[in-house]
Amino acid sequence: MSAEYLILIIGFVFGFYMAWNIGANDVANSMASAVGAKAITIRQAVFIAGILNIVGATFIGSHVTNTIRKGIVSTDVMSDPHIALAGALAALLAAALWVSFATWRSLPVSTTHSIVGAMIGFGIMAGGFSVINWGKLGAVALSWVISPVFSLVIAFVMFKVIVRVILSKDAVFERSIRFSPYFIGIAIFVVVLSFLFKTPLGKKFSISMPMALILSFVLAAVLGYIGKILLRKFLVEKQGNGNGAEEVFRKIQIGTSCYVALAQGANDVANAIGPLAVIYFLVKTGTIGAKVPVPIFLLMFGGVGIALGIGMAGKRVMTTIGTKITTLTNTRGFSVDFAAATTVLLASKLGLPVSTTHAAVGGVLGVGLARGLEAVNFRIIFQIMIYWVLTVPASAITSMIIYKIIRIFY
Amino acid sequence: MRIPFLSMFMTSPFDGMQEHAEVVKDCAWAFQEAVECHISYQCSRFDSLRGDIIEMEREADAIKRRIRGHIPKGTIMPIDKFQLFRYLREQDSVLDSVEHALDWLSLRPDEKYPKEIQQDIFHLVETVVDPIDELSKMIVEARKYFHSYKEDQRIVVKDIIRTLRLQEREADRVEHTIKAKIFNMDVDPITVYHVVRLAEIIGSIADHAENAGDMMRAMVAK
Repeated sequence: MSAEYLILIIGFVFGFYMAWNIGANDVANSMASAVGAKAITIRQAVFIAGILNIVGATFIGSHVTNTIRKGIVSTDVMSDPHIALAGALAALLAAALWVSFATWRSLPVSTTHSIVGAMIGFGIMAGGFSVINWGKLGAVALSWVISPVFSLVIAFVMFKVIVRVILSKDAVFERSIRFSPYFIGIAIFVVVLSFLFKTPLGKKFSISMPMALILSFVLAAVLGYIGKILLRKFLVEKQGNGNGAEEVFRKIQIGTSCYVALAQGANDVANAIGPLAVIYFLVKTGTIGAKVPVPIFLLMFGGVGIALGIGMAGKRVMTTIGTKITTLTNTRGFSVDFAAATTVLLASKLGLPVSTTHAAVGGVLGVGLARGLEAVNFRIIFQIMIYWVLTVPASAITSMIIYKIIRIFY
Repeated sequence: MRIPFLSMFMTSPFDGMQEHAEVVKDCAWAFQEAVECHISYQCSRFDSLRGDIIEMEREADAIKRRIRGHIPKGTIMPIDKFQLFRYLREQDSVLDSVEHALDWLSLRPDEKYPKEIQQDIFHLVETVVDPIDELSKMIVEARKYFHSYKEDQRIVVKDIIRTLRLQEREADRVEHTIKAKIFNMDVDPITVYHVVRLAEIIGSIADHAENAGDMMRAMVAK
């Protein structure tokens, strides 16, 4: 067997390992608030997240990936297939090791930032500091601040609106049904826009901004109205229950959580499969450009890896969430989900590589500041931020070391 | 397992406050029974009841310490941290006063209380037991308010605070009656002093309950 094929096999193993880690580490993001708010059970959360990640990865995930994630390193370093193979493998393993360490230590890190950091490490080793696109790196650093702040503000405002419009009024159930089209509508609006702009499948339609806005608005209006009819039909018996608003938001929240899981599969699969696709393509054809096609079986392979990660580590995380986040009710959970989804959409429109983890953290703090939670620890954000910042250099250094080792043999 | 994301969510201090209020409430009946037992000198359970209350006081103290120790810097709550501490201190003082009253009683185990004063002391105990009951109800209702921020719910809490104030006024009146009576009776000065001080200590239970209500008023202020 030639060295290239050996590298391909190792690439598959590392790719799968990375995908598994993405699932294990990110599972909390999409389903945490839904499980905490008891909108779905732990078992359902693990099952739904697993399935939706596979679906998202396979059908919505990009069939073309940039050779270097987020274009952070100039593609010139990839001109030599030898270096490119060693680099892709080193980056993949370094990112996987860092995410794996984070999962073991239960730290929420961004898998995107891990792979970006690993690419930087390899880039520096292969081509020196000049190959780094510092502007893009600045955008990564900016995202550490922007994503939690955006999300915090959106969650704060959203929760205040829910209190002002629904919770603080009489006939809470009636009011939440009456206003449900607006809340469902605004969530659908963000979801459709995210789908069109953020997911690779949506980007394929290449719909212009005004058209996308009109389409999202129409869909939001129609689905919001249908949602109201369905809620009224299915929740009518709960009318006497004082917690009417929570019942209504519970149903809406299941929808938003599912979307986050789907989008996560679609976007994050490239973190594991991107470098693997580079290796696969190099071994098959011997050359590589700025972009490589990703065969559908690779996407599915990544999706299954993520789903397995969720299935194996997810339950443990979910159980902790279920018992720990007891004050996060459905109205609060919806505010967090909505803020996270909106932040990811806005930031990615600005070209910032944000992660759902960062946005979710900001969202929870926003609801806390709006006096929506009985106790939230604000200082933990600094602790979390340290790991966000550490992610890039840590995976970069690991990647440098691994690259050097691989170059000794290959 | 420690997950930073989850570490943002802390144990709610309201859980502890409610637990604390329940312990205080449990003390109320034991207190009433102990006083009646001691003053009517027809039972021998005073010491065991007093022991129960000392135990409950210790338990409440542990809850109080646990709440205080688990609100680190940078905790966001719907209420101010120091309002919460002051509230807790007053709620805890209710229990301290209960314990203090029994201590005071125990100093004169064979005291013979004049018949005319006995009924008044029982009445005073009754008037201070009611506010203790109100405290735990107040926390439950306040928690509901912090969940919905509904104006009606705020009024429910404010009504409880008003009730606490009225009950304190009634306790003051009964305390004053006891003092006025004992000073005009033909009894030895030690008994006079003992009863006057007893009435003051029991009266202070309602004072602390009222103070807790005042702190709650500040917490639910818009």
